[in-house]
Amino acid sequence: MNTVSPLLSVSGLHVQFGGLTALDSASFNISPHSVVALIGPNGAGKTTAFNAISGFVPISSGEIEFQGKKISWPKTHELAALRISRTLQGVGLFSGLNVCENVMLGADTQKSSNIFTDLIGASGKSEKRLREKAMEVLSSLGVAHLAERLPHELSYPDSKKVALARALISDPLLLMLDEPAAGLDQGDIDELATIINEVKRNCAVFVVEHHVDFVGEISDQVYVLNFGKIIASGTFDAVKEDPEVLTAYLGSSRH
Amino acid sequence: MQTFLNALFTGGSRGAIYALVALGLVLVWRGAGLINFAQMGQAMFSAYVASTLIAQGYNYWIAFFVALIVGAALGAAIDILVIRPLKKKSGTAILGSPSMRDAIPVIASLGILGILQSVAGMIWAGSERGFPAPVSTVALKVGGNTMPFTYFDLFTIGIVILILIATSLFLARTSVGLAMRASALNSEVARLSGIRTRSIRTLGWVISGAVASVAGLLVTPATNISPNSLDLILIIGFTACVIGGLDSLLGSVIGGFLLGFVIAFISVYDIPEDIFIAIFLILMGIMFFRPQGLFGSEVGRRV
Repeated sequence: MNTVSPLLSVSGLHVQFGGLTALDSASFNISPHSVVALIGPNGAGKTTAFNAISGFVPISSGEIEFQGKKISWPKTHELAALRISRTLQGVGLFSGLNVCENVMLGADTQKSSNIFTDLIGASGKSEKRLREKAMEVLSSLGVAHLAERLPHELSYPDSKKVALARALISDPLLLMLDEPAAGLDQGDIDELATIINEVKRNCAVFVVEHHVDFVGEISDQVYVLNFGKIIASGTFDAVKEDPEVLTAYLGSSRH
Repeated sequence: MQTFLNALFTGGSRGAIYALVALGLVLVWRGAGLINFAQMGQAMFSAYVASTLIAQGYNYWIAFFVALIVGAALGAAIDILVIRPLKKKSGTAILGSPSMRDAIPVIASLGILGILQSVAGMIWAGSERGFPAPVSTVALKVGGNTMPFTYFDLFTIGIVILILIATSLFLARTSVGLAMRASALNSEVARLSGIRTRSIRTLGWVISGAVASVAGLLVTPATNISPNSLDLILIIGFTACVIGGLDSLLGSVIGGFLLGFVIAFISVYDIPEDIFIAIFLILMGIMFFRPQGLFGSEVGRRV
């Protein structure tokens, strides 16, 4: 099924926390315009895998290819230039800034302007364009009316949408979502599934998620992690019949 | 009336210096989450450098800018050589508690203060140095009336206001300033947006070092400089930024001026021995009724 060359390909990813092996030669491929889910029981290493790719945790070894090219393991601040963006479990909006400013910050602000053009106001135009872009993304997620609000005034589902808008404003090639469905009710989850199906026309989506039905609904491919190892991969329907997966994961937590 | 105005203007120019010290402390606090006690060591060191240059016949303004560069370079050096490695180490080490991890760089900054003071003592033999003010320190006369302030007082207040405006514009209007604010608010998200938070933090140390050096340069004409001569200013500046709310630039400056006025009025109308009692009563009162400080954000930035 892997006829197209993958957008992101990670192989032999090893992460060690002291004496604990959090990830043990994990490998995965993400094809362009596909939704790939990383699932597994608590503590299996899902978020660690995300954090390793994001440069938040140091890796012991691992290789990464992006757009068919082998690259050095990215530092966090280099992801924006690669057009990889991600959301965080804790939402992580900037408390002192309003919704629109929060979204604008998601764009790679460092490459488009410098201190001298800023001071003489020459970047006013690009800021205006950025603001328009932010409003565009917010309205595509149905939260444009919240643009002037501060993060603490938002409901939890809305703040998750704003965080998603911040990740989308940079036109990412790869969008990484860390537990996007956590804390949402069924209505919000259905809406999120629609949004993800919409988003995947423009980019690939890599998602860590607990909510099994949601994963089944959105994902083209699933990787199952257990104790830091990938124990199965394939379509959701194939993976959920895998005996090893059933014992490790689905058997115990499926409702 | 003359006494009142006198206290008002003395308070203003002293307050301006405390405001600068507090501003410098806030700049590092927002970026790195620590109180840099070495700051007045940096200021003292750069004031010594300025005094040496002026003694050798260099122009005041050349000495002034060299001193700024020395203060800024010391800031960068402290961050890169001491704080970064310490944070890296304590990030992976297994420590008793998170607060212990936060305390280590602060204690290190106290150590750096000690080192800077000893090294200055060795280089300049612990002697007091000074240099004249760049403008007159004699009371102004307008139409035959002696004013309660000097040109130097005005100069001091003017420089502080200029620095405050420049810093605020820099933070509010420039993309680097935006990156600084973003890194302070949420470093992970800032990094995901392509901001090099480590370099941005170092920039905070650099600006803070330069600002602190200005404070050192402004007090030297009045009090001369010796290795420990700025200790008291550091304590008052620190108190000012806690009163103002630690992460607020404006708050720190207002806190500085407030303490300047309190100190000036007490020394004019009361006995100087009461100064410290008054400062700490104000501090305790604020901590009691408004623990986040006058202008601090209510929710702690660091959770």
